[in-house]
Amino acid sequence: MLAYIIKRLFLIIPTLLGITFVTFFIMKLAPGDPVKLKLMFVSEGVSADALAAILKSENPPIELPSGYVRFAKKTSDVFTGAKSTDKEYEDDFVFKSFKYIGENTVFYLKWLKNITVLDFGRSFKDRQPVMQKLKSALPITLIINILSILVIYLVSIPLGIWSAIRKGSVIDKIVMVKLFIFYSLPTFWVATMLLMFLAGGEYLDLFPVVGYRSDYFDQLSFVGKFMDVSWHLVLPVLASTLGGFAFLSRFSRSNFLDVIGQDYIRTARAKGLKESKVLYKHGLRNALIPFVTLMGTLLPALLGGSVIIEQIFSIPGMGMLSFEAVLARDHNLIMGIATISSLLTLVSLLISDLMYVVVDPRIRLE
Amino acid sequence: MSLRSKIILSLVFFFIALGVVNCGGNYSIPNDHIRIHLDADPATLNPMTATDAYASMINNYIFDTLIEQDKDTLDWIPNIATHWDISKDKKVYTFYLRKDVKWHDGKPFTAEDVVYSFNQVFMNPDLKAPHLKSYYRDVKRVYKVDDYTVRFEYTKKYFRGIVMCGGFPVVPKHIVSQYKDFDASPYSRHPIGTGPYKFHSWTTNSRLKLVRNEDYWGPKPEIRVIEFKVVADRAIALQILKKGELDVSGLSILQWARQTRTEKFRNKFQIRMYPSTGYSFIGWNNESPIFKDVRVRQAMTHLLDREKINEKLNFGISTIVTGPFFPKGKQYNSSIKPLNYDILKAKKLLKEAGWIDSDGDGHLDKDGKKFEFTYLFAAGSKPAERVGTIYKEQLKRAGISMKMIRMEWAAFLDKINKRAFDATTLAWSSPFESDPFQIWDKSQAKEKHSSNFIGFVDDEASRLMREAKVEFNEKKRNQLYWKFQDIVHEKQPYTFLFNSPNLVAVSKRFGNVKTHTAGLELKEWTVKKSQKSKVEGQRSKVPPSPRLRRTGTGEKEMP
Repeated sequence: MLAYIIKRLFLIIPTLLGITFVTFFIMKLAPGDPVKLKLMFVSEGVSADALAAILKSENPPIELPSGYVRFAKKTSDVFTGAKSTDKEYEDDFVFKSFKYIGENTVFYLKWLKNITVLDFGRSFKDRQPVMQKLKSALPITLIINILSILVIYLVSIPLGIWSAIRKGSVIDKIVMVKLFIFYSLPTFWVATMLLMFLAGGEYLDLFPVVGYRSDYFDQLSFVGKFMDVSWHLVLPVLASTLGGFAFLSRFSRSNFLDVIGQDYIRTARAKGLKESKVLYKHGLRNALIPFVTLMGTLLPALLGGSVIIEQIFSIPGMGMLSFEAVLARDHNLIMGIATISSLLTLVSLLISDLMYVVVDPRIRLE
Repeated sequence: MSLRSKIILSLVFFFIALGVVNCGGNYSIPNDHIRIHLDADPATLNPMTATDAYASMINNYIFDTLIEQDKDTLDWIPNIATHWDISKDKKVYTFYLRKDVKWHDGKPFTAEDVVYSFNQVFMNPDLKAPHLKSYYRDVKRVYKVDDYTVRFEYTKKYFRGIVMCGGFPVVPKHIVSQYKDFDASPYSRHPIGTGPYKFHSWTTNSRLKLVRNEDYWGPKPEIRVIEFKVVADRAIALQILKKGELDVSGLSILQWARQTRTEKFRNKFQIRMYPSTGYSFIGWNNESPIFKDVRVRQAMTHLLDREKINEKLNFGISTIVTGPFFPKGKQYNSSIKPLNYDILKAKKLLKEAGWIDSDGDGHLDKDGKKFEFTYLFAAGSKPAERVGTIYKEQLKRAGISMKMIRMEWAAFLDKINKRAFDATTLAWSSPFESDPFQIWDKSQAKEKHSSNFIGFVDDEASRLMREAKVEFNEKKRNQLYWKFQDIVHEKQPYTFLFNSPNLVAVSKRFGNVKTHTAGLELKEWTVKKSQKSKVEGQRSKVPPSPRLRRTGTGEKEMP
């Protein structure tokens, strides 16, 4: 068992490297970069030429090893016939490609070296450390997602079992149709409707419209703070859970039906156990095993915020952070977010594998 | 089963109870406390590195500049500098500073701060302020004459020199000199200035608070606390405004026309409308084979029914512009009338340019090529999309096919940069008095990343702009700009669209909310006395007397 865990932990390293490499690659292939974006916002009385020169001095080109440059020049010579002056090399396609590949490789390697000491660099937008930005956005996203997932599980599993017991009845069908209606409602619409009717003030004024805490948050006691945050999060959590019920309750319903058809359930009934004991002790426990698989996708889902929910409720979470980072081509921030979330995904996959052993004694990991 | 439904029920009750309990504890806001809507968080409040409109709006309250612009006449008037001289060769500007100006921490503001800000902070190669640096690159040196006199020397004559020197961001020497890396220092998130408001606190992407500077050298405003609230979604911001959790919010034209007409809203809010700076346009790639012909560009303008678009999309409140200046300013040549919507005239012009329907298929063609082009616009820009859709239909009737291409912002700019477009739509925002050189000069047409991305080249226009740049007599200068506008109008490198007004809703809790040419002025607003008794307990002393300064709650949409 221990050997297995260690083996899996070591496997995380190459996987993570692969993920960051692919992310870096895709990011670099997207058109536009932060320097160019800055260049397009020239203020009046500024020539783009002068601005470009200053930007260039601020973001000096990455130094390539001299051996590499010599090799690139030679290869370029082979392709285009002999050349000599440096000026000409600058325009040559082969040399330019070599330079591009070389600079990006050096950048990526430097980045890799830095993350070994958990330094993700600074954001291009405001020069704040990436780590700090993640630290401020992560907690609120975590809270919303934990609550949403909790609500989804607490509602859909019992609901699935409840309708499995009433399989084929009219009420079972009604519940399922309702859940699929929720499933098909777009989140932005649900959120806006909730805000309008429950918080807008024109109809009901039960909940706050924006943010995740009040202006006077700092003056509250601990209980007050807790109540304040929960009060703010009711609508965001509600909006993000409504669509989630359908899948999970269908899932638990079919699982439960599978289990109930098994021989050991018939045996349990045959030996005269009470129906509730048959269902909840023998049935439920076994029906829950497949949920462990779902657990593996839980942690990454916890981290990724929903842009739509965050935008509508003005919550400064991970969704907005990543969205803005991508739009602004904020390379360090994008890489930081990708690394953290892929690391957590890998860890959670490992945890869910280990959980199998805990819940199902038939499984052994070697 | 019953247990589970009990859990669910009690959960539901918990949430409802939560709503009711918290609802009862609603917090009442002190009367001299104003809450202003922001669309997004500023990236930084460092006056040297900040580039976004949000930062400049907030820093406007925290910092004073040497001179400032009169809100109505748009003339430059004293602020920290009581008066100033310009040397005979128009290259040396001397500012005489007030002696009673103090930084927010009580230290006096002297010429030393200005000189240090320029020489040590601004000129430091480590400071990443590319925009500002290229802006001030013609300043030769800055030095103090005595403690309250400072001199700027320019390498060349430039009519905006006085404005640029007078607006240079000054930072406190005694604080900034402590930091090695000023750019990444805590100062960027906790600025200290000399302005009428002090920085108080900032929660990223949520709220930013300023409190009144009780030791301000000028008259103190009545409003004691300004709180900026970040709400990314405009529709939600309006909802919050209606609910009474915001006092000031910009409105989109559609919101203004459709969602603020109820009596309930009008009882609670006063709506102000003032001209914005800047304009939207459709830019023609002057180097493309189709649009390099001036007659084709003129025809394209004749084919766009701007009156109707203004009426349908903007409820008729925008102005159709004919040139690149502030329409209410002295630079703008108002004698030029916009080209009207006239299909026949357009067809005639196109015919002259060689575009006729030779094969009778309803499409114009020339040398065997059909009149087809792409209209590139940034995703998320609703006005650009709407104008484009209408335009497309109007062009179809004239036998021209236009393909609309929508692209994500960074990718869009990349295309613009590479000049890989036929037509595009964007908006420029500019100061009240602007220098069109960067957008229109021929020298900029060939540059990479240039603002003259449509490649407009006209010798006469360039000559006029260069002449105006060094003309210090305002009247003469403006006459040059009027002539320049005549050329721009004739050549139609852009089809100019609209200058749309800023619309702002302000709570009726505040009085004296006047509309100036340059917008609203929060510092002159009064706090309604009648309601004061209600919140007496929470207020500290409020010294009266208003003072001038600009607020920029209006936000423009990109077309």
